[in-house]
Amino acid sequence: MKVLLLMYQDETAMQRLPREEYGKLHGAFVAYVQALKDGGALLGNHGLRPTGEAKTVRKQRVLDGPFAETKEQLAGYFLLEVPDMEAALSWAKRHPTAPYGSVEVRPVWT
Amino acid sequence: MQYLLLIYGNENAMLNAPKEASSQMLGAYMAYTEALKKSGVLVGSNRLRPTAEATTVRNPGGKKSVINGPFAETREQLGGYYLIEAPDLDAALSWAARCPGAAHGSIEVRPIWTM
Repeated sequence: MKVLLLMYQDETAMQRLPREEYGKLHGAFVAYVQALKDGGALLGNHGLRPTGEAKTVRKQRVLDGPFAETKEQLAGYFLLEVPDMEAALSWAKRHPTAPYGSVEVRPVWT
Repeated sequence: MQYLLLIYGNENAMLNAPKEASSQMLGAYMAYTEALKKSGVLVGSNRLRPTAEATTVRNPGGKKSVINGPFAETREQLGGYYLIEAPDLDAALSWAARCPGAAHGSIEVRPIWTM
């Protein structure tokens, strides 16, 4: 099955992480992506630019900002191919940004 | 540049829509997807299963928790996305406005971070 992992983080806090911690996180991120690739689970992943650059189209009107103001913001996603939801959750738990926020797991409609 | 169009709509209203309305919507989405493909704009897209099937993992300070449901309870729910390649934000916004979901909900447009 295909699942989408959605990463939510406090983007302001993330931008203010001490340099050393940020470097460590970046390293963990690279290792995580490699582990997904080695496991044949990764279909694609992207990071999103901060919500300050988001626009929302609603009833043909263009509004500044994301769809919803939340304490944490959508920062990126991973599209995975996994045998089942349990495997998806175990990847979500290993996600390096999980300690900084939430990882939402959504099955894709096939 | 690549942009992610996130489609937010009231999933209950969608799931309970009369058959005719939902097949009309499906047709509109197929036409929209085809238009994106023909213009060479489409990079990828997926429809998500309802948020009742969502699970959220949090791991603050090493304390792991697994919660049923999406990250946030919102009036409209994330139902799918299109990843598109567009020359600029204006072009991305005009594709967002043409998305069938824009008539019933919200389309959030987010620039992709390029390394």
